[in-house]
Amino acid sequence: MSQPTGVIHDIGYRHYDGPRLGRGAGAVALWVYSLRGTFGLGRTFKSKIMPFLLFGAMMLPTVVSIAIMALLKQEPMSYTDYAVFMQPIIAIFLAAQSPVLVAPDLRHKVIPLYLSRPVTIVDYIGAKLAAMIAALLILLVVPLTVQFVGEMLIDLPMPLHTHEYLAALGGSVLNAVLLASIGLALASFTPRRGLGVASVIAFYMFTLAASAVLTGVLESEGHRDAASWSILLNPFFLVNAVQANLFGTQPTEGLPFPSGAGPALILLAVVALALTGLYARYRKALAA
Amino acid sequence: MTILATEALTKRYPRVTALDQLTVSVGAGVTGLVGANGAGKSTLIKILLGLVPASEGSARVLGLDPATQGQEIRRSVGYMPEHDCLPPDQSATEFVVHMARMSGLPRTTARERAADTLRHVGLQEERYRPIGGYSTGMKQRVKLAQALVHDPKVIFLDEPTNGLDPQGRDEMLRLVHRIGTEFGISVLVCSHLLGELERVCDHVIVIEGGRLLRSSAIGELTQASQVITVEVEEGLEKLAARLTETGETVAVEGRTLALQVRADETYDLLRDAVVDLDLNLVRLEQRHARIEDVFR
Repeated sequence: MSQPTGVIHDIGYRHYDGPRLGRGAGAVALWVYSLRGTFGLGRTFKSKIMPFLLFGAMMLPTVVSIAIMALLKQEPMSYTDYAVFMQPIIAIFLAAQSPVLVAPDLRHKVIPLYLSRPVTIVDYIGAKLAAMIAALLILLVVPLTVQFVGEMLIDLPMPLHTHEYLAALGGSVLNAVLLASIGLALASFTPRRGLGVASVIAFYMFTLAASAVLTGVLESEGHRDAASWSILLNPFFLVNAVQANLFGTQPTEGLPFPSGAGPALILLAVVALALTGLYARYRKALAA
Repeated sequence: MTILATEALTKRYPRVTALDQLTVSVGAGVTGLVGANGAGKSTLIKILLGLVPASEGSARVLGLDPATQGQEIRRSVGYMPEHDCLPPDQSATEFVVHMARMSGLPRTTARERAADTLRHVGLQEERYRPIGGYSTGMKQRVKLAQALVHDPKVIFLDEPTNGLDPQGRDEMLRLVHRIGTEFGISVLVCSHLLGELERVCDHVIVIEGGRLLRSSAIGELTQASQVITVEVEEGLEKLAARLTETGETVAVEGRTLALQVRADETYDLLRDAVVDLDLNLVRLEQRHARIEDVFR
């Protein structure tokens, strides 16, 4: 056996009299920690695969679009339709990563440790929600921005799509808020990660199918007005409708969305409902 | 110095009364909170942390009111829950750093203190491995570390020796004692095992059904009693009979004899009886009361 080359001196317990930050700093730290978690940063290699694969998939159309602009001097891919076009990828990201944010703390009962500290349950939920919103924004805004920068650099024979780009950024914010609220609310109802993933995916599939089937049936029956509302069952179409009404952009696929404030009110109502559910879920966890 | 105090504290849930007019006061050092499961220990901690409002009465922790100043209290208090509360896929270091930041420590300080604290609770190289692979003893140490990392003034420990083997218990209790003395952090430690508290506490509070049964310094509870234990090799019955004849109060307890000391003559009588009966005296000791006796 080799002799120890150094000696560890026990310097005893040291007290801390440095600064103690408040609840705000704690919430921000939790936000950063959670946001990193949604992309698997600071976690195992395995947890990085899924988010980065999906981010890569989101970038693919952008790369192709830039190539088309540069080589064929053609119009770039539509900014405002991008989220609708990429909805399966976004939905999978939401389903895969929402449980990552909420399930482990519920399953392993870590929440009491947070609550015994300055952060409150509202800070906790807020930080998790903000982390998911930021993650979805990264997923949506980065490809759009890269394409816009590409469009600026490549000298196209047509004017820049600045208005569409900005409208799409607005739409991205709406998408991120709506999807994050729904995703976290659904995922928080089970402490099991697998079930969380399944429930978010099932919800998306359901809205996708319900929107298509109901709209088809209503249209064939001649209820055009009702059909235009039933499309909005799909959250991506709902956001696209609000985006079209709010920024005056073209609806995706020329869909006949209802005009006016209706879709925006539905969006607000869904977000409010999801957040109420999320809060109620954690109130219950708190009392237990 | 009073660390925390309650005044007629009452907590009623729709079906049960968890705390009933509880008035206690806890000073610096290590204080034990004893009670059977469901006696109201956890409810008391939740109220003191400001997480649950009291139905009636009031409380103070470090001079602050949990009902209105819960946040300030939580900044200078550490809490180690009874149940498992650790994510298995993170290392102890990562987890404790994160918890330190949640307590309001800046990033670099959080790292330094997490490393320090884990060393103090006795986690070595294994602190870089995921918690999922830890033994119960190691997990308890991580739970303790996260409660200590922000250098609280008071720490609430809920059944810290739960699930530990005898050696693990000893080590945990030694740690609790060190926290109260060497670290200078006041400790409120809950347990339903009295023998454990006897070893580490300066003061013990006994509650039952949400009511205060007793609150006293450990010395009062375990002071020398007027009973001596006598053990002889053979002929315990003969000795007991002889002593009873001479008017002493004795009780046979297994292989030993409990003798009430009336006065100094009792010792002489015992000595004479042993000599007369030609017995081999093995043990003669003054008995100390145990906290368990409080419940008798």
